[in-house]
Amino acid sequence: MKPERWQRITEVFQSAIKREPDQRAVYLDGVCAGEESLRQEVEALIAAHEQADSFIEQPAFEVEAATLAAAQVGSLAGRALGHYQFISLLGYGGMGEVYLAQDMRLGRKVAVKLLPQHFAADEPRVRRFQQEAQSASALNHPNIVTIYEVGEADGLQFIVTEFIEGETLRERMARMKAASYPAQAAPGSLSEVLDTVIQVASALAAAHQAGIVHRDIKPENIMLRRDGYVKVLDFGLAKLTEKAPDQRAIDSEAATKVLIKTAPGLVMGSAEYMSPEQARGREVDARTDIWSLGVVLYELVTGCAPFTGETPTDVIASIVKTELPPLTRIAPEAPTELERIVSKTLAKDREERYQGVKDMLVDLRQLRKRLDVAAELERTASPEMNVKPIAISSEQATVETAQGAATQTGGVGTARPTSSAEYVVSEIKQHKIATLIIMVVLAAGIIGLAAYLHARSTAAGIESIAVLPFDNQNHDADSEYLSDGLTESIINNLTQLSNLRVVARNTAFRYKGNASDPTSVGNELGVRAVLTGRVLQRGDNLLVGAELIDVRENKQLWGQQYNRKLADAVDIQAEIAKAISDRLRLNLSGEEQRRLAKRPTENPEAYQLYLKGNYYTAKYTKEGLDKGKEYFNQAIAADPNYALAYDGLAYYYITAVGFFISDDDAMPKLRETANKALAIDETLGEPHNSLAIVAWWFDRDWPPAEKEFKRAIELNPNFARAHWLYGWYLITMGRNDKGIAESKRAQELDPLSLETNTILGQSLFFARRYDQAIAQLRNTLDMDQSFWLAHDFLGRAYEADGKLPEAIVEFQRAVEQESDVAENWSNLGHAYALSGKRAEAQKILDQLKERSARGYVPAYTIAIVYAGLGDKDQAFAWLDRAYTDHSFYMTWLKTDPHLDSLHADPRFQDLLRRMRLTP
Amino acid sequence: MTTPSTQVTQLLVEWSNGNQAALDKLTPLVYEELHRLAHHYMSRERGGHTLQTTALINEAYLRLIDQAQVRWQNRAHFFAVSAQVMRHILVDHARKRHNAKRGGDARRVSLAEAAVVAKERTGDVIAIDEALKRLAVLDPRKSQVVELRFFGGLTIEETAEVLKVSPITVRREWTTAKAWLYKAVTSTE
Repeated sequence: MKPERWQRITEVFQSAIKREPDQRAVYLDGVCAGEESLRQEVEALIAAHEQADSFIEQPAFEVEAATLAAAQVGSLAGRALGHYQFISLLGYGGMGEVYLAQDMRLGRKVAVKLLPQHFAADEPRVRRFQQEAQSASALNHPNIVTIYEVGEADGLQFIVTEFIEGETLRERMARMKAASYPAQAAPGSLSEVLDTVIQVASALAAAHQAGIVHRDIKPENIMLRRDGYVKVLDFGLAKLTEKAPDQRAIDSEAATKVLIKTAPGLVMGSAEYMSPEQARGREVDARTDIWSLGVVLYELVTGCAPFTGETPTDVIASIVKTELPPLTRIAPEAPTELERIVSKTLAKDREERYQGVKDMLVDLRQLRKRLDVAAELERTASPEMNVKPIAISSEQATVETAQGAATQTGGVGTARPTSSAEYVVSEIKQHKIATLIIMVVLAAGIIGLAAYLHARSTAAGIESIAVLPFDNQNHDADSEYLSDGLTESIINNLTQLSNLRVVARNTAFRYKGNASDPTSVGNELGVRAVLTGRVLQRGDNLLVGAELIDVRENKQLWGQQYNRKLADAVDIQAEIAKAISDRLRLNLSGEEQRRLAKRPTENPEAYQLYLKGNYYTAKYTKEGLDKGKEYFNQAIAADPNYALAYDGLAYYYITAVGFFISDDDAMPKLRETANKALAIDETLGEPHNSLAIVAWWFDRDWPPAEKEFKRAIELNPNFARAHWLYGWYLITMGRNDKGIAESKRAQELDPLSLETNTILGQSLFFARRYDQAIAQLRNTLDMDQSFWLAHDFLGRAYEADGKLPEAIVEFQRAVEQESDVAENWSNLGHAYALSGKRAEAQKILDQLKERSARGYVPAYTIAIVYAGLGDKDQAFAWLDRAYTDHSFYMTWLKTDPHLDSLHADPRFQDLLRRMRLTP
Repeated sequence: MTTPSTQVTQLLVEWSNGNQAALDKLTPLVYEELHRLAHHYMSRERGGHTLQTTALINEAYLRLIDQAQVRWQNRAHFFAVSAQVMRHILVDHARKRHNAKRGGDARRVSLAEAAVVAKERTGDVIAIDEALKRLAVLDPRKSQVVELRFFGGLTIEETAEVLKVSPITVRREWTTAKAWLYKAVTSTE
């Protein structure tokens, strides 16, 4: 085309498009008269102009990125790579795409990470990728994402890892920030923060020991599972984005990389977590990870990273030069010990930092322990920063907030005005009155709630509920008792209702002081409804607010505010009780009404002691059990008519027997507690559970055992302990499916309890589903590495699965955690014997026998080591003794894999017959 | 100490002087940024971001250079060089992507699918590049306007500054070039 012609076309085109569309034809008629081809050209251009719309209005960079995104989104989903069937794209980053895939061979879901194609062309890089991934795949730690395979197929380099369902710490932080107010509020409670950081530090400790430095610790690389377990992703893979040292043309390349990566608005992240040595482009070591974890910790506590800047360059400059802004300046409530840990982690000179992550871990754990003790044991008020006024009316709310502020600054004493002489009572007396009121108000609340739930249960299908700890708006220890007591009592009372699953106390109280969104808590716990509430005591006024939220619909179902005078308590009680009972008659059976109105104890101290007893007993350690027993006895002393306190004692006997006390000591006492509890309240489910245990473990009389279990569950369908014990019973009887179902039920009821989680693993183990048992027990240990029973059964599952070295490690851990338990030693001895370490096995055997001469050692444990050593005569001799001792271990006879080697012996059949375990 | 930005600046200068090796060093930086943006598109918080993206991209790659330290003949020269670099790298990226697709058996991703992600009608970078070469023969200045705006990500005003013409002229050139390119691209597709 000649330039003149093109010039003409563009001129006519420009003139034409300036006109209204309906004017253009007339214009073209005139201007193109006799030049039909010109007109055609211009018209084609106008048509294109009309359609072009946003064409090329987006910069090419975005177009290419979008095309790339579209290509990635669709490229592999639904396709297969090797034996991996891709399901969907999970994410995409500088390191490549990550897909959710099904491993067709092993039938499990996995995450497959594909190396970006442009890396694949770089051979040395691919080699380093493979080496790095191979060494990372050797890491075996609960907080490290397990690498299943490093492979290559169809020209693609990939890593297959376990699939983690959950969110990244970054996402969690964003969510917490969005939910909390003011915007600067720290995301998450301190103990939660410590818990996360401790888990990451444990992962790092394991990796560093194996010589692997992560290099890229940041919130995007830390996954939080819904159940609170933390998993660190991409160990060592950060090396991939770096060139090999010899390829570094310019020493600042690493810094450039970060600079590029963190353009504003994109993922602003990496730069802020870099250590000073990384920012300078120097070689890094384990101490870089320590720094980065320090940044994460700092950010979790304060809500912002310590070194920031408008541009990545500014961030890097700040990391290298700016002094660390003191933690307590931004988070004044942070303990000084935390400040010290953070400063030591974020020392610019790495020689001044923690030299190993283990040292940091020790300090973090100690701090957490101190906080736990403060929170859980002493129940001191942990002041919550966001004081939500009770929404009774705006006027009242204002007053209360003002008073609340006064309480916080003025202290407990000034918060208790004695308004008139009549109400001048001692603190203790007032406390008691308050407790009485709370019980009354509470009873009203529960009954109303129960009526509502019951009425709705057919219509709305509400079959499960979590009662979250009521918010104590007084912020002092005494009132904390009121708010906790209210919550506890609601849980206890609702638990009595059949057809309603109530999340157990232990699990519900994990959310204490953690004012997150009730809907998401409900989803986490898998319940349909969540009850939240607040308690405020002001002199002789008591204010209680409660809301019931439908998790699925995310709406409030019911809400009630109670505003009462202490003095009017009795009248109000009568009034409300009548009104409610009228309503209830329509909805609840007489039995259920009666149970709802029931109050376990009027004595707050007894209740407190009972809770402490439960807390300690659930630790499963000798020290914990001794304390637990002591607290239960004190609870009984404080209120001899407190039926549940007797069941607390029963819990002690059930847990301690075989580990620390003999069956002959424990079982008669267990029977006694059950009978006492039933004498006080024959409708309690708990004592029937105890009776079932006595029949099963001690009397070896199966039909009554089963009957009592069923009765316990019938009376209290939400009693987790009865479900797992019944499940265990069923498994020893060979009824695996039903047994596991009961164990799972317990775990659903109390999903965050170490006990129910371990027992589920134990049930899977006895049902000989070793893979599942291992997974379950590893998950349990992710919650708390110190729970010896989980190590015990994880070891047993490994051993039965043929993984002796792993088993021995677990048994050693169990012994470390609780050396008083003979079972831990006998397991280790048995595993030694199987590994050919007969001398070690014999040594353990000698120790056990020596101990048994001085005190209680279950004969069964000795039999086990003999069985491992192949000494059948001795094994049977000790089993006979276990039989005579009424050892509960004998109920394992049929199911315990330790005894498999004895099955063919006639003496074993004889034992089975005597135990009434023959088919 | 050689700062990262002067390094990038240096690379750009070297490339504009005809040093191919400089481009090789720049390319991975741009690629990573591309992948990052692609990830951004795919991430869940995608909704409503398109408006800011343009500004963001401008920034993203202007950030490659610390303006204060640049000793360019002038700002315009820098923009012009950057646009050329980006064009080269992006087209190269698109080619590699296409080739990889033809090599493997992955299905071809249509523009429509790309548009689903971008939420706007997008063009194929390679097709536009080829059409732009033809436009350069016919009308070099219009081609340059497109290079600066589409590949360089410049605004009308910045483009005017580079070309030393008025923004009105740029707007007019842009409208015509866009129509012509659209026609060229859609008729060959």
